[in-house]
Amino acid sequence: MNIWILNTLLIATQILSSTPDKKLAYLDPGSGSFIFQMIIATLVGAAFVIKVYWKRIIGFFQKIFSRQPKDKQE
Amino acid sequence: MTTHNHLKQAASFRDPNGFIFSREETIYRQVNIAYQGNFDFLIESGLYNQLVKEGLLIPHRETNAPPLDPENSYKILIPEKIEFISYPYEWSFNQLKDAALTTLSIQKKALEFGMSLKDSSGYNIQFHHGRPILIDTLSFEIYPEGKPWVSYRQFCQHFLAPLSLMAYQDIRLGNLLKSFIDGIPLDLTSRMLPFRSRLAPSLLIHIHLHASGQKRYAGEKLDTTQRFNKTSLLGLIDSLETGIKQLKWSVNKTGWSNYYQDEQSYTAEGLAHKQQLVSEFISQVKPGIVWDLGANTGLFSRLASESGAFTLAFDFDPAVVDRNYQEVVSRKETHLLPLLQDLTNPSPAIGWQNRERDSLKDRANADLVMALALIHHLIIGNNVPLESLVGFFQTLSKWLIIEFVPKSDPQVRRLLVAREDIFESYTQDEFERRFQEQFIIHRSEPIRDSSRRLYFMEIRS
Repeated sequence: MNIWILNTLLIATQILSSTPDKKLAYLDPGSGSFIFQMIIATLVGAAFVIKVYWKRIIGFFQKIFSRQPKDKQE
Repeated sequence: MTTHNHLKQAASFRDPNGFIFSREETIYRQVNIAYQGNFDFLIESGLYNQLVKEGLLIPHRETNAPPLDPENSYKILIPEKIEFISYPYEWSFNQLKDAALTTLSIQKKALEFGMSLKDSSGYNIQFHHGRPILIDTLSFEIYPEGKPWVSYRQFCQHFLAPLSLMAYQDIRLGNLLKSFIDGIPLDLTSRMLPFRSRLAPSLLIHIHLHASGQKRYAGEKLDTTQRFNKTSLLGLIDSLETGIKQLKWSVNKTGWSNYYQDEQSYTAEGLAHKQQLVSEFISQVKPGIVWDLGANTGLFSRLASESGAFTLAFDFDPAVVDRNYQEVVSRKETHLLPLLQDLTNPSPAIGWQNRERDSLKDRANADLVMALALIHHLIIGNNVPLESLVGFFQTLSKWLIIEFVPKSDPQVRRLLVAREDIFESYTQDEFERRFQEQFIIHRSEPIRDSSRRLYFMEIRS
């Protein structure tokens, strides 16, 4: 979760501090959304990888601990 | 739904890949040559079969029926029939939430098979056999490797924005979907959400920063060399899914709703008698489709749906509609669809030329309408004249089960506490006289232990 918050803050700073090159009278939110996705790509990708691995680690330990009582019985 | 012979449905006018049309009561989908590659991939990759198997996509069969636009036609499909087309602004919180999660599940499945959703509009989801399902078979494209999700903004506007506003601010904000047909703009959503919503990572990113990002980068040149890899896309979907799952709306917190308020107006024997009468009337009509207006949590709607009729349970209270929906889900009911509807201001026709989304009246398809413990709310609560009410029911269906609640009833007395009694003609005699002008009253039964009366009527031909 910490990496989420840190990354989010970095992105927030980037978005809020950058100044657009030009001002348009009508702003199409579609192209903005596209570029925004490019900016958050690393964040969401990294968070996803961490989540998947974290689940695997938890799953590994759960497997070990759930096996123990059975082993003792044997 | 209103359909005219050989009519191309207005709602699909934007899509160059195909369209829906109707011919003699049958709904067809024309797939255009422009979509041939994607359509073949959908079928040949196994994605279509998998989605249909999981109940996520509407099944169809191919037909030799003549196309409506032969020049562009690749294939003609007959999709499985949807009993009633409903819209996101008619769904309760959990209906919209389930529709959102269904859209994301479909997108994840599509990516497994090398495709991606190019359209994630809420209107592409319908409730079919009790569960949300994608009805637009032409929503998929072969996954464009390295490109961001083309319908990310649409998903946020159609689902995340209304759900977050409903959960964080007020359940009634779902009504904004009626004004914004392509979903609630993110800058508006961001301004309306409370500050604490920024503490939820998904909302901070997909609503607040997304809205700022849209403004900052609008009109900027796209860097076509930059790639958006598949892990990022999966991460984006996962993050949206987590965000949606975390949004909750609790009835108790809001003070909405008086469950079974009207049912409390009866003794146990009176309620059983009313149920017995309603069941009796339903079995005489053997309706295919029933509309229960003012259905509350669906006690009487279930008499119809359990008899085999596809039943729409309308109510204006988002809490009772949501509770009813959750019951449908937990009981795995397939014939009952709870929907939000304020009869004093029913869903209008909206969109391009007012033809993209039909009004409630345009979708009238019931064989039987039930109006139980309802008319006092319309006549006394909303000053609707009796003759106007008769006209309203006349447009809805052939058969009518309607309850008359007299002025002496405690619920009516409660309505009259804060308003002047200008309803002199609100009497049983006048009610019968007015309705008899347009309907034949087959049965009129007093409900036991109550001053109320149940009528079974048929429209005069």
